[in-house]
Amino acid sequence: MSRGRISGRVLEGIESIGGAALAIAREAGGMVLLLGKVIRALFPPSMDARELVRNLHKMGNRSVPIVVLTAFFAGALMVLQSAPFVQRLGATGLAGWAAGYAVLREIGPILIALMFSGRVGANNTAELGTMTVTEQLDGLRALSIDPIKYLVVPRVIAMMVMLVALTAIGDLVALLGASLIAKIVLGIEYSTMYHSFADNLSPHDFLQGIYKSLVFGGAIAVSSCYFGVSVKGGAVGVGRAVNAAVVAAAVSIMLLDFFLTYMNI
Amino acid sequence: MQAVELRGVTKGFGHREVLAGVDLEIKQGARVGIIGPAASGKSVLLKLICGLERPDEGAVIVEGHDITSWSEARMLPLRARIGMLFQNYALFDFMTIGENVAFPLSRRGGISPSEIDQRVADRLRAVGLAGTETKLPSELSGGMKKRAGIARATVARPDIVIYDEPTAGLDPVTTSKIYDLLAADQKETGGTVIAVSSDVAALAAFVDEIAFLYKGKIHYRGPASSLADAPDPIVRQFVRGDVEGPLE
Repeated sequence: MSRGRISGRVLEGIESIGGAALAIAREAGGMVLLLGKVIRALFPPSMDARELVRNLHKMGNRSVPIVVLTAFFAGALMVLQSAPFVQRLGATGLAGWAAGYAVLREIGPILIALMFSGRVGANNTAELGTMTVTEQLDGLRALSIDPIKYLVVPRVIAMMVMLVALTAIGDLVALLGASLIAKIVLGIEYSTMYHSFADNLSPHDFLQGIYKSLVFGGAIAVSSCYFGVSVKGGAVGVGRAVNAAVVAAAVSIMLLDFFLTYMNI
Repeated sequence: MQAVELRGVTKGFGHREVLAGVDLEIKQGARVGIIGPAASGKSVLLKLICGLERPDEGAVIVEGHDITSWSEARMLPLRARIGMLFQNYALFDFMTIGENVAFPLSRRGGISPSEIDQRVADRLRAVGLAGTETKLPSELSGGMKKRAGIARATVARPDIVIYDEPTAGLDPVTTSKIYDLLAADQKETGGTVIAVSSDVAALAAFVDEIAFLYKGKIHYRGPASSLADAPDPIVRQFVRGDVEGPLE
């Protein structure tokens, strides 16, 4: 292969990496700008209460069954994973701590946020994207309504509030799931599990997960709203936007989790 | 005083230049129709007037205000005086038809709920949609959605009403009824009407003047009544629908 051909391919490679980096920077910049508009719209705080309540119900209440199911098995899995060590070492008193620590600090917030992103975030992007391509956002603007204040702000608040609430519910259900499986598989009494939770876990463990879910909720909300309102290209564009929003939310959750955990140490 | 004035307006999307220096003046209380080939920028022109798009160059002046560089927040009060019917209706699909039509009134404030209900019912009756208040847009046909869009655009009696294809998808009888209604509305309010339509004959019967948008500019402007006999051969070919001619 000639040297010119190789250098051409290298240049192509560099060009595609540069293009991808620019695209990521453009989307990230767009999300930061949207976040800025949302924060600005909160001062003075004014939003459509009906739209907020509608979103709280749609995003929160309807997500409870799937979160309960996920959290229950997440808690149960933690116990199953630790079962061989607990049995080998006879450390039944630590079974609850192991499951609870992992669930409250990491597994609960992350898993519930990912579920929430897949269900609520994707739906939000599709809804806003469809409104964008059918000129409903322009329709709002034409009627002197700021779409950020009317549509985006209530959604961001609803997602943050509801992800926190769902995480709290999920934490409780996960601990119940862990206790039930510990009783069935390892024969550990509920009281032993309860004391293991109560003696070894602190409110800080629970709150750390809650803080994380608040940030994750914000990340899911901003990414899903951003990709929704910036859709171009009709139904195909909406599909692409949903895909991009889910990927962006998942990456954001992982990155933010790393930094939040790191800072807490 | 001019209701709308466009001076040397250009607008492009990506590498495509849609408007290439549009100059247009519309007097207060006038009824002006804008026609032109498909994708000639008619809808973009309407959105520029409503401040929903910004020109790349030139100036957009609405009711004496140069809105070219106005922020979105500054635009909001002015838009309250403009009613716009979108080509794709732009009805809010999470609201019922009644809520859609009531929206401009309820957001404005100062009107009692009972008066809003009455005005919504009157407007829906006027466009032939009586009794559809509780239906969702998805339950209506395209023509019915168009009429609901007209009801929403006109319910607050704006100073300037912009119609993008007001009769697309409607049968000839309903088209005549709708134009009669729009004419009666305009007579009552004395507002300015700017309409874009592919149904040139029906539009020409409704408006006083017609502007022909071609190759990004207002190529011709003249009285609607003599449009078919316009001196410009391109306009004549477009209006008559001749296949052969200078129209590219």
